[in-house]
Amino acid sequence: MQDFSYERPDSVEAAVAAMRDGEARALAGGTDLIAQLREGRRRAGRIVDLKWVPALTSIAALPDSGVLIGAAVSLSAVAQHAAVAADYPAVAQSARLIGSVQIQNRASLGGNICNAAPSADAVPALICHGARARVAGADGQREMAVEALFEGPGRTALEFGEILISILLPPPEPRSAATYLRFTPRREMDIAVAGVGTWLRLAVGGAVAAARVVLASVGPVPLRALSAETALIGEKPSPALFQEAGRLAAGDARPISDTRGSADYRRSLVAVLTRRALADCCARLDGRMEAL
Amino acid sequence: MPSSEAGTDLKVVGKRLPRVDARERVTGEAIYPADLALPGMAYARILRSPLAHARIRRIDTSRAAGLKGVLAIVTAADFPELPVGATIPMGETGYDMWMVAQLNMARGKVLWVGQPVAAVAAVDPHIAEAALALIAVDYEPLAPVLDIAAAIAPDAPVLHEHVLTKGVEPHPRAPSNVCSRTVIARGDAARALEQAPATARLSVKVDTAHQGYLEPPVVVAQVDANGFATVWASTQGQFTAELMTARMLGMPLSQIRVVPLEVGGAFGGKIAIHGEAVAVRLAQLCRRPVKLVLTREEVLQGGTGPAAAARIDIAVGADREGRLLAIDGTYRLDAGGLPGLSPSLVMQASAALYQCPNLNLQGFDVVTNKPRTEAYRGPGGIQAAFAMEQAMDALCQRLDLDPLEFRKRNASVTGSTMPIGTPFPTIGLTSVLDRVGRHPCWTDALPKGRFPRGRGLAIGYWRGTSMTSAGHITVAGDGRPMVTMGPVDISGTRTTMAQVVAEEFGLSIGDVHVHTGDSKSVGYSDGAAGSRVARTTTAALVEACRDALSQLRLRAAEKLQCAPDQLDYAGGTFRARQPGGPAIGLSELMQATLADGAIVGRGVSTKLPLGVEIGAHVCDVEVDTDTGLVTVLRYTAFQDVGRALNPAAVEGQVEGSVVQGLGWALTEGYDYGPDGRLRNASLLDYRMPTALDVPKIECVIIETPVPNVPYGVRGVGEVPIVPPAAAVANAIARATGVRMTHMPMTPERVLRALQEIR
Amino acid sequence: MKTLLMCTVNGEERTVLADTRDTLLELLRDRLGLTGTKEGCSNGNCGTCTVLVDGEPVCACLVLAQEAPGRDVMTIEALSAGGTLHPVQQALVEFGGTQCGFCTPGIALSAKALLDRNPHPSEPEIRHAIAGNLCRCTGYGKIVDAIAAVAARTQGR
Repeated sequence: MQDFSYERPDSVEAAVAAMRDGEARALAGGTDLIAQLREGRRRAGRIVDLKWVPALTSIAALPDSGVLIGAAVSLSAVAQHAAVAADYPAVAQSARLIGSVQIQNRASLGGNICNAAPSADAVPALICHGARARVAGADGQREMAVEALFEGPGRTALEFGEILISILLPPPEPRSAATYLRFTPRREMDIAVAGVGTWLRLAVGGAVAAARVVLASVGPVPLRALSAETALIGEKPSPALFQEAGRLAAGDARPISDTRGSADYRRSLVAVLTRRALADCCARLDGRMEAL
Repeated sequence: MPSSEAGTDLKVVGKRLPRVDARERVTGEAIYPADLALPGMAYARILRSPLAHARIRRIDTSRAAGLKGVLAIVTAADFPELPVGATIPMGETGYDMWMVAQLNMARGKVLWVGQPVAAVAAVDPHIAEAALALIAVDYEPLAPVLDIAAAIAPDAPVLHEHVLTKGVEPHPRAPSNVCSRTVIARGDAARALEQAPATARLSVKVDTAHQGYLEPPVVVAQVDANGFATVWASTQGQFTAELMTARMLGMPLSQIRVVPLEVGGAFGGKIAIHGEAVAVRLAQLCRRPVKLVLTREEVLQGGTGPAAAARIDIAVGADREGRLLAIDGTYRLDAGGLPGLSPSLVMQASAALYQCPNLNLQGFDVVTNKPRTEAYRGPGGIQAAFAMEQAMDALCQRLDLDPLEFRKRNASVTGSTMPIGTPFPTIGLTSVLDRVGRHPCWTDALPKGRFPRGRGLAIGYWRGTSMTSAGHITVAGDGRPMVTMGPVDISGTRTTMAQVVAEEFGLSIGDVHVHTGDSKSVGYSDGAAGSRVARTTTAALVEACRDALSQLRLRAAEKLQCAPDQLDYAGGTFRARQPGGPAIGLSELMQATLADGAIVGRGVSTKLPLGVEIGAHVCDVEVDTDTGLVTVLRYTAFQDVGRALNPAAVEGQVEGSVVQGLGWALTEGYDYGPDGRLRNASLLDYRMPTALDVPKIECVIIETPVPNVPYGVRGVGEVPIVPPAAAVANAIARATGVRMTHMPMTPERVLRALQEIR
Repeated sequence: MKTLLMCTVNGEERTVLADTRDTLLELLRDRLGLTGTKEGCSNGNCGTCTVLVDGEPVCACLVLAQEAPGRDVMTIEALSAGGTLHPVQQALVEFGGTQCGFCTPGIALSAKALLDRNPHPSEPEIRHAIAGNLCRCTGYGKIVDAIAAVAARTQGR
């Protein structure tokens, strides 16, 4: 491992200053970074420990609903937060899938986003909920959709010297629900072979008014399965509808074959997971669907 | 004196007692080699081949040697060259030392990605690691062969010029990647199959898997001012390690001692040395103690030997009543980069439990440019059972015959002819099968679930070995027995041997101290392997107890002034037989005779009659037909253990071994890339079962004692890994109609198989 | 490069000379001589090196030594205070929940953290709490039995 210096900024400004050049790497939970440094997959001359910046480690329900989550808050803390568990169960569910208890006690939403692995399990539920990212840099702060952050495997839209400060979960819309399901060969510890986050908002009459279907591990970045979403809108939820959405989502996927699974298998999984996730969304909405 | 043949009046043996060494494990005080820190200790790392097949033209260590903090560097040039055919003694057959030397340091050629080519000792681990990158190796790449099919193809590049296929007539003159052909046959299987009213055939492929022990091998070596080397190792056999290390170094045995420390799992993978001789040579050169560490990536990527991949074809034939007429099998085992893996035991094991007049079994071991394989609990057994037990199950389906009934109908019994022609010693297969039939796991209806469910049965056999075990007992000044045993404890044998000695002495387990000797402080003992330790060390220690007690008897007789045969011994006291006669306890006796020298009882066991292992497993699965995910709902393992010295220890061995089998059955398999590099050389993608992946394994103990051996003990630890993959596969077949022929039966492979039959 | 770190380990203030690249695992084992925490893979994939940081189980191999100052680190050495085994340790002994012992320190700490949070877990909750701790010897059954026994013994308190 290359030697590095280590800093503990105590404010956003100090953190941004520490991230000033290409030598710097942000450290939240370290569950990706430290493994990568050890294996030589990433190099760091200066490690900036973000866990001592109050804005990055606080998590709070907002007065008019919504939750603001500091980028370095642990996945365990996110999953256990009352407002997250109540209003954004898909986010809590996703946080509980990553790695193991030990990993979840350290890893963070910010890290899962900024590491930008196509398999990032926390991301689809965030995109489903329309989560917003707040980013700070030398020129000030900006806000963007979490969805807009991903540019390629391991690459985000963060500019040189910027850090992700927080993730805002906007107030949940009425008659809406989200789910995240993924497939792994073991029941813990594994990286997703495929993952699907779905979000439905129903109109008063029960038809789908809006839908998001977000695919993980089947493309260079988290993908919106647009043809599946289009097919859902205006329709009444039914097993046949979800089956069709799954088929279309599989077509939207752009998987590769690697040691974790072939492209064909991943497409099959996308179809199945989409169908199941949509049914699960309805079950959450107390729609009278069988969860299959 | 308690009789080791006694059945029901045992006081310590047979009891479910906690391990005598559990406390130091739960507190973290147990010492493994990585825990040692000696003054001035240097740190060593190994440089490994990045290529699967290449000639080594030149190794330039000069830049590495110039790095500040580097203390010594070695390559094959620092070890004497051993001739092909060099062996060390081990049990009845010896062990290929030429192969072990190549395993520890490549000479002239590299044969797999990860084979060691150099090693560095430095003042700290970061410098050692940095130095590796500065060693320049000039390789001439050669075309690699990466699987059995490629290795046996007509124009395949040959790995070893000296390997001529054994067992082929006429003797070949051209080298080959097929190291040997073994045939076990009786009758005319080809004709019997042709004429059999019912047949089933199956060809399977099994991927390489790793023993998966949690403790990566670490060695600490120190050479004193007189050149005497001490090695602390995580090893299954301190004597074997000493023989191998001394031979590789060209060092006399009297100049080296191997001290076995706690072993963090081994399962066959720590019989050969992995760095011991390298660490000693580095210690000699830098004149400091050296700690050589293997990382997890190294363990998986060629630094230690995984278990053999295989391609096995089985054909079985029976009459309409399900009586077997013929078994035909071809077993091809992938030995990895170096020869020395015999398929014979595997072939025998897969067919032994069936009475069948016609057998034609052919086995081949084939070298490929992959890590050299090593043993893994009943090596070859699980691969062969995956084929054989499924073929038998398919035959049952064809005949509409209950699979348990089929096994009973064809079961080998005491005296049945084994595949190699000798009669079976005392076995209790029929008792095991009867117990299965009466157990709820077999008689309970399979509850319905969301997805198809099925129940599978598979049986397994493992012969095990005996070899040599020695031990001695000294008696402390307070009269308590202090046991030094030769075989290393990898299965709880310190505890079970404490129970045996306590039983023989009529004491409680807390009165007995047990310790494993190093290679200079106890009699020669072969390694802990082949399910032999509990059985043979029991025999050795029973002899040692009797020796010690007879010495004590003589002393007691003198002290009590009567004839030795007029004394009774029970529960730690010698008592003169006449009513009101004098008595003396062991403590008092020892205190009274300290000046008479030590009491040392010695015992050794060699070639003890075998206690073969038999198991039958029942497995219920649910198959998610949308994703291919297989969930094991219920698993029951029935095993004949002869006599359970300690039921908790027996269960622990069975449960752990079964879960290893389930791992290989469902998720564990090496994924080699086209360059021979492993694509899943981490515990993230080499997927061993977690606590959420397996149910509670229920273990049912059956006892058919082995006659004429103390306590009638059988081997335990190997056979439980043999049936699980077949039991799961048979359950999948019953659930879905699909026969899985590629192991591990990953979700993707299961789904593809399901899609193919739709 | 060397660096001086002031850490709280097992309730004691320790001043340690470490390498800037050390992980918490290396700090504990190699600098502080606390070898009870074992190393299985150094990549967070086996749980062998589990320690408690501020009461929560984490893999010490994925924490930098330099992150330790300001945190409370607990290793297996502190679980048996004054020589008395913690109930989890006692149960692992009684139920045969340890064989080679290599996973045991990590498992004991994961189990302790579970029971501190949830004194009466169900079997699935127990298995989930130790799912990040691989064991190759026991097949997990007797480990789960041991943890369940501790929970049962405190029932009604």
